[in-house]
Amino acid sequence: MSRQDLAADRVLSLTLKAGAYTAFALTLGGLLLRWATPWGNKIVMAGLLVLLATPALRIVVAGIQFLRERDFKYALISLVVLGIVILAYCLGIQA
Amino acid sequence: MTVAAVLLLILIGLGAGLFGALAGVGGGIIVTPLLAIYFGLPMHQAIGVTLLCVIATSTATSSQYVERHVTDVRLGMTLELATTVGALVAALVSRRVNRRTLAILFACFLLYSSGSMVRKAWTSRRAKREESIPDYTPHNYPLGLAASLIAGGFSGLLGIGGGPIKVPVMYLFMKIPLRVAAATSNFMIGVTAATSAYIYWGRGDVRVDIAAPLVAGVFTGSLLGARISPKVRSFYTLLLLVGITGWLAAQMIYKLVTGGFQ
Repeated sequence: MSRQDLAADRVLSLTLKAGAYTAFALTLGGLLLRWATPWGNKIVMAGLLVLLATPALRIVVAGIQFLRERDFKYALISLVVLGIVILAYCLGIQA
Repeated sequence: MTVAAVLLLILIGLGAGLFGALAGVGGGIIVTPLLAIYFGLPMHQAIGVTLLCVIATSTATSSQYVERHVTDVRLGMTLELATTVGALVAALVSRRVNRRTLAILFACFLLYSSGSMVRKAWTSRRAKREESIPDYTPHNYPLGLAASLIAGGFSGLLGIGGGPIKVPVMYLFMKIPLRVAAATSNFMIGVTAATSAYIYWGRGDVRVDIAAPLVAGVFTGSLLGARISPKVRSFYTLLLLVGITGWLAAQMIYKLVTGGFQ
């Protein structure tokens, strides 16, 4: 594994961690606040949306890492996977 | 919902996340039957909620494997080409599959998973932990992609991660070291589950009031489990999970035989 790969792993891991902790904090915080303010439900919702968006974000971040390494084959693969996920999102909001 | 129900859901999520992370299996598999049997949720809604739990487990635990360079990101991204297509198609089809059929399929998958955990427990009995990863090149991409398509399909249909399908194929046929295969499968599950979750969400099959406490619990359990897992032997956790999944399968079959899941 090259040095660049190791750095790419760190960026990717940070993305996943940021998504996980943000979603966790919002969902739990919102659940607790729900008893106090009507805003609680909106915060919970935001947490779940962050949770849903994190996997898509991690495809984008991995794709950018591949581009920076000039690994165009895997950048293209990431782009296609992102396309399928976006297609699912579009079909989802239509349903 | 009552405070007691919210706390119970947080606890269920906590247990699923913790045991899932400790045993290296997705905890989602115990969430769906619990919701369908004890909370009376229709199968489609139980599956929709579980998909969010599965994304939470994968996101929380895979960051650690990626950081430790166990995950093969390139391999994962390539196989996601197939898991996402499978998940997308299956999620669209699942609406036309009736609840009873889903329950029968799920009961079968519970039995299969419980069997594969028995085998995993048997091999982990005297396995040394944290060995270094040998060099490898992935073999047989067509077969890996085919297995990923099927795993993605099951994920979209039943709300599970599909690890018990992907990991053996990656290990046996693609010649990927077992630890790398497990970490990479776990990494893929988040994207796969998100693909079908978008469709379930849009359809209104994700109950936010039930998903939120579960997700909060799953995060707590997975983050905790991933932290202490190097110190705990997975053998006993696996045995416990075999017992739980076996019990849940029996409950589902009993409910099916007595005419439930209509």
